[in-house]
Amino acid sequence: MKKFLKYFAALVIVLFVGYHSVYFKKLNEVQANTPSGKINTTAYTRTFWDKKLLPSLNKAISLDQLIGMLHTDPENTFKKYSNALGIGELKYFMVKAEGSVKQVGDNDLTVTLATDNKTVKIETEYVYGNAVRDASGLINRNEFDNTSDFNEISAGINKIIREEVLPDFKRTVKTGDHITFTGAIEMNKKFLNLSDIEITPIQLKILK
Amino acid sequence: MKRIYAFFLLLSLLTLASCSNKNAAGEPKKIAVIVSTLNNPWFVVLAETAAAKARSLGYEAKIFDSQNNTALEADHFENAISSGFNAILFNPTDADGSIANVSKAKAAGVPVFCMDREVNSTKAATSQILSDSYSGCIAIGKYFVKKLNKKGKYVEILGLVGDNNTWARSKGFHSVADHYPGLKMVAQQSADFDRNKAMEVLESILQANPDIDAVFCGNDAMAMGAYQALFAAGKANHVQVFGFDGADDALQSIKEGKIKATGMQYPKIMAETAALYAQEYFKGKRDFPQKIPVAVELVTAENIKNYISN
Repeated sequence: MKKFLKYFAALVIVLFVGYHSVYFKKLNEVQANTPSGKINTTAYTRTFWDKKLLPSLNKAISLDQLIGMLHTDPENTFKKYSNALGIGELKYFMVKAEGSVKQVGDNDLTVTLATDNKTVKIETEYVYGNAVRDASGLINRNEFDNTSDFNEISAGINKIIREEVLPDFKRTVKTGDHITFTGAIEMNKKFLNLSDIEITPIQLKILK
Repeated sequence: MKRIYAFFLLLSLLTLASCSNKNAAGEPKKIAVIVSTLNNPWFVVLAETAAAKARSLGYEAKIFDSQNNTALEADHFENAISSGFNAILFNPTDADGSIANVSKAKAAGVPVFCMDREVNSTKAATSQILSDSYSGCIAIGKYFVKKLNKKGKYVEILGLVGDNNTWARSKGFHSVADHYPGLKMVAQQSADFDRNKAMEVLESILQANPDIDAVFCGNDAMAMGAYQALFAAGKANHVQVFGFDGADDALQSIKEGKIKATGMQYPKIMAETAALYAQEYFKGKRDFPQKIPVAVELVTAENIKNYISN
């Protein structure tokens, strides 16, 4: 009898340990709960846009002032006001200005700046690339292990501009309107071209 | 007190020794330059520039050609580690297959600085200095859509299917072109970055699609091959060709109006930066950016004068 009790107790212990050692779950439940290690780029981009980029726009340099400084002292102006996340001659500036709409084109807006009659173009169609992400100077490349995640931040920012910033503005703007804008520009430091400036817009406002 | 002075003196001497260009035996430190292939002039420039920069900084440098073979690349790493090379400037053959080699060097205490091509790891190499192919191809994509006025049929010729740069370029291009429903890709095929293969591939595609408006190629060699195929078919004046690299013959072709655009890469900047990073490593720096992009510039008929002298 004692032997039977001993074996019975051993069996109970084995069953108890075995039951608690193995469990079954549906594969899709496991996959859904497994962290991928990938940054949620959509959420990151939205937070970046709302909490970092928009509050920082008051620091943008006046476009007239920037053009003047690039004419007189390009080296120091690039050093002081441009941002770039990599190596090379392409640098980015965050700029703001006021002007009147000279022409509303299919792909862009030609604007005459209020202070020195210079014309610049605001992109309204081909909003792609890294100008806004890199001009902001607010993103640390080393936060991203993965190059494609990092590129998705630019794609996300551009999507916000195309879908939220531009549609209303494009519907209402017309030649002769007085506008203010803030945006990003890309400049090649080695082959500086101040006669063909294109702005990727972040904020646009019609003053009439 | 004397012991403290002696300790600090020894410490200073050790620090100085670690900062010098010489190893423990008093010989110059050695840098291995391991490249995927020397069968392509672009990689020859990359390798020779890296070696020349290393030598100009006072180091010994030796170039190893992996001949696009990861097994041979592994042998070169074994050789470099066992022969006492102090750093490796590396152009990987395979983004996944080369990780093991880089990790082996890391385990042996030899820093590895990747040039142009990346390995799919952020833990193995000391730093990776990479051409920003994705962003360069966004710029080409924008120009492509403008030149085609948002509509037309086109062909994409891809590089090596297993190479990260192939897909970075393709994805950058498509991140723009795919927004325009009027643009229709009628064929997408690989030509392994090879001029002759690209010519054959396009010849074959043209038989089924004689009415294309443009060809986007993952490098300039393929763009030149595509142009040859179009020229032979009498379509060179109607079909717009776009490349990537900034090769001399492609620049000349842009000037002559044969090719529409390319992305100018800077192998020399990448190679020299890698050599300078190795020097900084020897001097004690350890906090290198894991992946640092090198800007790619759009070259077109409008700005070709900046990139070509005659």
